[in-house]
Amino acid sequence: MLGLNLPVVIVLAAVGGVLAWRRANTLTWLLYTWVALWAFFKYGFAVPIPQSVATIYLGITGLALVCFASSSRERLSETAQPIVRLILEPRYRLALAGLLVALPALAAYNVYADLNVPLEAPGFGREVHPPPPTEMTVHDETVDMATAENPYLHYNHDDPELYGEHLENGRRIYYENCFWCHGDGMGGDGMFAHGLNPVPSNFNDVGTLPILQSSFVHWRIAKGAPGLPGAGTPWDSMMPAWEKFLTTEEMWDVNLFIYDFNGYEPRALGQH
Amino acid sequence: MATLAAAVLLVALPAGGQVDLGTEEQRAAGKIVYDKYCGQCHGDTGDGNGYATPRVKPKPRDFTTGTYKFRTTPNGMLPTDDDLRRVIEIGAPYTSMPGWPNLTSAEIQNVIYYIKSFSPDFENPDRYGEPIEIPRPLESTEESIARGRVVYEEQGCAACHGEVGRGDGPSAPTLVNDKGDPIKVADLTQRWTYRGGATKEDIYRTFSTGLNGTPMPSYADSLEIEDRQHLVNYVYSLGDGDDPNYGTLITAVYSEEPIDLQDGETLDALFETAPMTRFPLVGQISEPGRNFFPSVTSIEAQAVYNRDEIAFRVRWHDLRADTSGRNNPSLEVPMWDEDNGIGDDGGDSDDFFGEFGGEEAPAEDDFFGDSGGDDFFGDGGDDFFGAADAGPPGAEFSDAVALQFPASLAPEGTPELKPYFLYGDSQNPVDLWFVNLTYGVADTFRGRGSESIEPTEADIVEAVTSYDQGQWTVTYKRRRSSRAGVSFAEQQYTPVAFSVWDGFNRERGNKRALSSWFYVYTEPSVQPATTFPIVRAAVIVLVLELLVVFLVRRRARRQAAGEEAAGGTLAATEAPAV
Repeated sequence: MLGLNLPVVIVLAAVGGVLAWRRANTLTWLLYTWVALWAFFKYGFAVPIPQSVATIYLGITGLALVCFASSSRERLSETAQPIVRLILEPRYRLALAGLLVALPALAAYNVYADLNVPLEAPGFGREVHPPPPTEMTVHDETVDMATAENPYLHYNHDDPELYGEHLENGRRIYYENCFWCHGDGMGGDGMFAHGLNPVPSNFNDVGTLPILQSSFVHWRIAKGAPGLPGAGTPWDSMMPAWEKFLTTEEMWDVNLFIYDFNGYEPRALGQH
Repeated sequence: MATLAAAVLLVALPAGGQVDLGTEEQRAAGKIVYDKYCGQCHGDTGDGNGYATPRVKPKPRDFTTGTYKFRTTPNGMLPTDDDLRRVIEIGAPYTSMPGWPNLTSAEIQNVIYYIKSFSPDFENPDRYGEPIEIPRPLESTEESIARGRVVYEEQGCAACHGEVGRGDGPSAPTLVNDKGDPIKVADLTQRWTYRGGATKEDIYRTFSTGLNGTPMPSYADSLEIEDRQHLVNYVYSLGDGDDPNYGTLITAVYSEEPIDLQDGETLDALFETAPMTRFPLVGQISEPGRNFFPSVTSIEAQAVYNRDEIAFRVRWHDLRADTSGRNNPSLEVPMWDEDNGIGDDGGDSDDFFGEFGGEEAPAEDDFFGDSGGDDFFGDGGDDFFGAADAGPPGAEFSDAVALQFPASLAPEGTPELKPYFLYGDSQNPVDLWFVNLTYGVADTFRGRGSESIEPTEADIVEAVTSYDQGQWTVTYKRRRSSRAGVSFAEQQYTPVAFSVWDGFNRERGNKRALSSWFYVYTEPSVQPATTFPIVRAAVIVLVLELLVVFLVRRRARRQAAGEEAAGGTLAATEAPAV
């Protein structure tokens, strides 16, 4: 759940528990906080988060820890105490020598690893749900994006049989046109998905259809990639402008079908 | 001996105990799952005629026939429930059949019961066979692979799969299944596309049980178990890795050498040094002239450059070189041709396949048994099939390939801006380096969208092409700097996209296989040394450490000196319990 890699999170929490139980000193806690955060960013998410984001968080956390440690004279000397002892006391001489060698080695390895990252194509951010226009024209009809709704949705209550007919028509449209990319089960994992960037929308996702008004979905269907604003990187997307291939009714039918198939309802008008 | 044992088993088996059609409730529960997830392709009545059927290839299974390709049971027999389950769970790669990991085990079992109810064969105990035993693979030694190669030749595998397994055998263009639908021979070098699975066990199973309803026979009777295992090792050795390792970047390497397209050997040596990247291709399905089942699913690319010029080399597999027809990027594709090859809507290749399937299919047994597949087809598939009334399918259009670059790089501050990847757009044009393989020379086009593709002659792009054992190789060369188009500066990321047309599949114009935008990176001509930054990092850290140690010690010494003077003791200030 939440896209977390649970075993990693549990291990990190357990280490924290052990430290609390052993009443670890301030320095240990500070080190633990930073290292645990690093490990959490690197291994804690099922889908890795961007390196740049992790670096920013770790940088801010590092600063915060330094501020905390130096917030009072007492705390500073308490934090520094173990380091001072390591440096001064003869019985730690071996450990000190080890540390003196280990840290430069770690730094060297880090630089080496950075230099040997295989080259990658530059990546760019894109807005997944860029703001729609206030109105659009589809097949010579003006659609007001703020008020437009799926004209067949109400049949769900008023005329279930007619609703069923529109759904079946939507099913036909979907499997004649859409599943190559969006997938048979609508997971955004169709047989062409691996060759596309951006990847096709996943309609199973709770963060996609339920948060969108049906007029937004209608806009995306009718205008496709060429209708996206620049923030949505229209030049990269395979999404066709379906108004070239489908009638208005067919586009609303398939809109109806993808909501129904996943058991979702469009976000209501005026709901933010 | 093995066959005898199998025969005994078969006689002993037809125990009705194997017939398990589930309960009424299970089939009803299966129907609900089937209607939601399966009917759109396999048809609500299981006849393989769903909404998607006219636009997919291979066609969805027709469950009413009881004919199944992927089985552990002997040739011609029904599959076991586990065989069906396997395909439902993981799907058939590079076909429209996906895996269904979201279905529970019970749901899958119910669907299996429901699917079985479409064909009366499942009520017939005689149609059930005992699953074959799949032995552990033999170690893949040189001898084993060599023996496998001998078996491959003796059994005439090359007639369909080609000499080196690229699915380009002389009869590959003619193959149909028992319903008369054209089917594609497996490209043995691209293991990740094997429909029935890519493990050695999967391959052994395919040899031993055959693929029912297709020209792929079972070798259970004609090959000893051990020979089948050697053949597995040979086929496996043809493979180009377990997975395609699709990349996103071509790294163009620098060379001091001149790039001479006419000097094949030097050119090959030059490209030896350049890394090869494989890119996925999918059907163009955004603009009219859609291609729902492209023949070619990936392309490999490399690049080298010297002071003045840059050269690209692309490679892909094609079951036949189509070098007699027409093609260009803007050739018109009528709407009905989007569904070509399937359904009743009129492509002439339909008729061809229909006829051929009906008349010639029975002969197939003969030529598979015949070891001399090569001799039989020796004078070239084209000539042989040219005798058929309708002519070979696809002769109308030639194979072709194009590299696509932006006509200019994105302006400063908007590095993500690119032309529309489908032939560009009115504001941001693209340049196409197009090669019609009938002529083998590069033509340049400027694209401002699918409706606006014009030939240009601003830049001279040269090309050489070759077709060898099912593989096209096209090498392009151009000057690095260009006034009209994009220039390739050092350490520059330049967007690049690919298109491939297979004339045999009637691909032309916008009916093509294409890629998204990827990049070519021109590696610096002088590689920076890596030792210095590594040593520098270590030294900086070491110096900092020593500084801290020095400062701490000095302070402690001073304190001690001060305290001694004051008559105190060190222990009072040092080392409180932590």
